[in-house]
Amino acid sequence: MRVHLGLSAGLVASLGLATTVIAQTSGNINAIARVRQPINVAAGQDLDFGIVIQGTPATIASTAAAAGRFDATGTPNANVNINFTLPSNLIDGAANNLPIGTWSGCFNQTAAVNSSGCTAIASMAGTTPTTFGNVAGTGRLWVFVGATVSPAAAQVVGTYNGTVTMTLTYF
Amino acid sequence: MMLTRGLVLAALVIAVPGEASAQLIVTGIRNLDFGVVLQGVASVVPPTDPVKSGQFYFRTPGLGTRVRIRFTLPTQLNGPGGASMPISFANNDARAQGTAPASLPILFNPNGAAVFTMTTSPDANVWLGGRVAPAAAQAVGTYSNTVIMTVTMF
Repeated sequence: MRVHLGLSAGLVASLGLATTVIAQTSGNINAIARVRQPINVAAGQDLDFGIVIQGTPATIASTAAAAGRFDATGTPNANVNINFTLPSNLIDGAANNLPIGTWSGCFNQTAAVNSSGCTAIASMAGTTPTTFGNVAGTGRLWVFVGATVSPAAAQVVGTYNGTVTMTLTYF
Repeated sequence: MMLTRGLVLAALVIAVPGEASAQLIVTGIRNLDFGVVLQGVASVVPPTDPVKSGQFYFRTPGLGTRVRIRFTLPTQLNGPGGASMPISFANNDARAQGTAPASLPILFNPNGAAVFTMTTSPDANVWLGGRVAPAAAQAVGTYSNTVIMTVTMF
């Protein structure tokens, strides 16, 4: 059946008609793929503010010993984007909120160290491009996070928790 | 001199139809780019992918032209240090569509030949999808190979 839609599929070969080639030409493209190792991200250390006092903000810098840490492996020297999903509140067992914000971060491609040689992340709300380091043939990346919690003067006493998610994507 | 001029005119009239029917253009527009694929994880690009699918363009002399499209497809992509990775193409991994607004897309099997008649536009785009299957220990790096589309006017 012939379909007249811009192009139509013909069945010339099945009719057994002799065909005369008027012209023939070719064009090329490439098929391309970039193979990478899977990315693994592990929780290295929680961001633990410890004891905080009602009405008194508490800050942990991304360069502090108590900073949260993610440990990642992937293809050495491969380009990767860092993205975060950050909570705006920590929550206790009774659904009380403890505000958290002013996030900070830094990353190190050679060692799990943030006291020096840790590259600051300009915007925790955006995408940070970087690369995996190459540590003895393994792609490594350590990412540290800090923030400030702001308990109200009448903040309900208790333990508050939240989840920080880091996503790494090859590009 | 008058006789010579008359002969030149006759030669031009004969030559023009032959030149018009040979005006077939085929151009590679965009690579079939799977992007980053992970070891051990097969990856598929449909011909409808607006970024990753391969794209060709061809132009014929005019409406009513019949063409046969055939691909020369690789079975593997070649990578670093002699490594290779299988690539395959399935039914409906090719899509053709004329450039006229009323043209509708037609899916076809890129592993065989497809015949079309140009009914609403003398030109068309052809998109190609495919799939790669990296091994669990596939060597890291960039793999590539060539895809050829041949258009025959008859």
